[in-house]
Amino acid sequence: MTNTLLVASVGAVLLAMLFGIYCVAALDCAVEARITGRHRSNTLLAPLKSAARLWYAPHNQTETPDMPAWRLAPILYLMLAAMGLALVPWSRGFVPVDLTTGIVFWGAIEPLATVLIFLKGWAPNAHFPLLGAYRYVALGLSYILVSMFVLIGVALPAESLQVSAVVDAQAEMWNVIRQPLGLPLFLIVGLGVSFWGPLNFIDADDLHGGAASEDSGRIRLLWKMGRAAMLLSFSAIAASAFLGGWQGPWLPGPVWLVLKTLTIVLVLVVLGHRLPRLAPERFVTIAWVVLLPLAFLDLAWAGVEALL
Amino acid sequence: MSAVDITFYINAAIAIYAGWRVFVTDSMVRASFFLLISFLAVGVIMLLLAAVYLGVALFFMMAVEMMVMALFMVMFMMNPAGLNPMKMVHQEKVAIGVGVVAFAALSAVAVFGQFPSRPIPEGLQPVVSLGHELLGDSMLVFESAGVTLLATMIAVVMLTSHRGRYGDANHGSRPPGLEPGGDPADMPAEAEDEGHHHHH
Repeated sequence: MTNTLLVASVGAVLLAMLFGIYCVAALDCAVEARITGRHRSNTLLAPLKSAARLWYAPHNQTETPDMPAWRLAPILYLMLAAMGLALVPWSRGFVPVDLTTGIVFWGAIEPLATVLIFLKGWAPNAHFPLLGAYRYVALGLSYILVSMFVLIGVALPAESLQVSAVVDAQAEMWNVIRQPLGLPLFLIVGLGVSFWGPLNFIDADDLHGGAASEDSGRIRLLWKMGRAAMLLSFSAIAASAFLGGWQGPWLPGPVWLVLKTLTIVLVLVVLGHRLPRLAPERFVTIAWVVLLPLAFLDLAWAGVEALL
Repeated sequence: MSAVDITFYINAAIAIYAGWRVFVTDSMVRASFFLLISFLAVGVIMLLLAAVYLGVALFFMMAVEMMVMALFMVMFMMNPAGLNPMKMVHQEKVAIGVGVVAFAALSAVAVFGQFPSRPIPEGLQPVVSLGHELLGDSMLVFESAGVTLLATMIAVVMLTSHRGRYGDANHGSRPPGLEPGGDPADMPAEAEDEGHHHHH
């Protein structure tokens, strides 16, 4: 890789992260205002104002916390989201990180996110964050399996674990049509790993804010940004794995990728506001009894389809 | 020194430092996560060695494994959050002896061993050849090992969780009394006529 390409890759990922986080936050504000009917003065400025307020807010102190872990967890979570975003191909020739095992690497990001979410809830040494952390580990292990099977299903028609090969294999037909179960299951996992909307079990109201209940100031800001970035990464990977990524007529590849990613973000944000929240223990049952068998079915479908 | 060399030295240093911290730290959760950091650094070194699949597999295997390990250790221990300080080492003399012997043996292999110099042939696809190996000739071995490990894990959890901290798990957990045969220490008898009290 030449130096120019390296700089372009890093720049593209960082810009996409910043712009994408802002888009997620602004879409969230706009959808919330539309659904609740409480119109803010300016939806486009609201995320920036909220970020500025959190940046200058003081830090909250608990009794004997693990400060390094508490500070590091949000930063590392943001970095994980950036690594996921780096796997996404922008066009045939421009893939920031074209790893031959990109799909597996994405599969590694989800368990690492679980570790960070646990660490984040554990570090303040307080009740509600710790309950949120334990709750996420119990739930997270049940989502991750679903996402692994769905992603293996995507890799089968491409006969490769490379994300760019998965996108190339969708030139004739998108995976969302070829494997209809894949995208919905993957989006549920996306809501779960970024604990958004109905699947926000760890920062939940029934735990007084859960893992985020002791946060304030910059840690809270970084944590919110990390969640938005993870939702964005999930959307970008979902767009590449199921909606043909950068492929599309008339417009150049990167534009298609951005459009598809933002569409999925919008769907996820609307679902997050519209769907009711389940009890966590009931969702664990649903994850193992309904979602996991559906993921098996999706994989079997993909396998039969690849053999035919 | 190339970028690959620099990456190798940085990750080797991280792996060793984090591995040392595992034994110095005073918390189960921190120890698990330091071990995770050490493994992640080794995973990066495996990526440098062109073991693309194994390196990435190490990332997710170790992430899940260390998470579950931290959770289980905390669950089966007296220290509910894992934040209370506790000593992480025991039988130190034996452990130090074993460690020194293992280090000397591995170093001797690294320094005095004859390593074959076989450059990777052009066009070799490590992931594809690994897949053919795992799901071809070696499939029976790997599958048997996998099923055996799973059965072992389930059996170990069944055997260890049968007896809870306060007696047989089948009979419900009940802490011991403050005096022999007395009420459980942290479960005061529920006042049944509490509502009655308010009327007077």
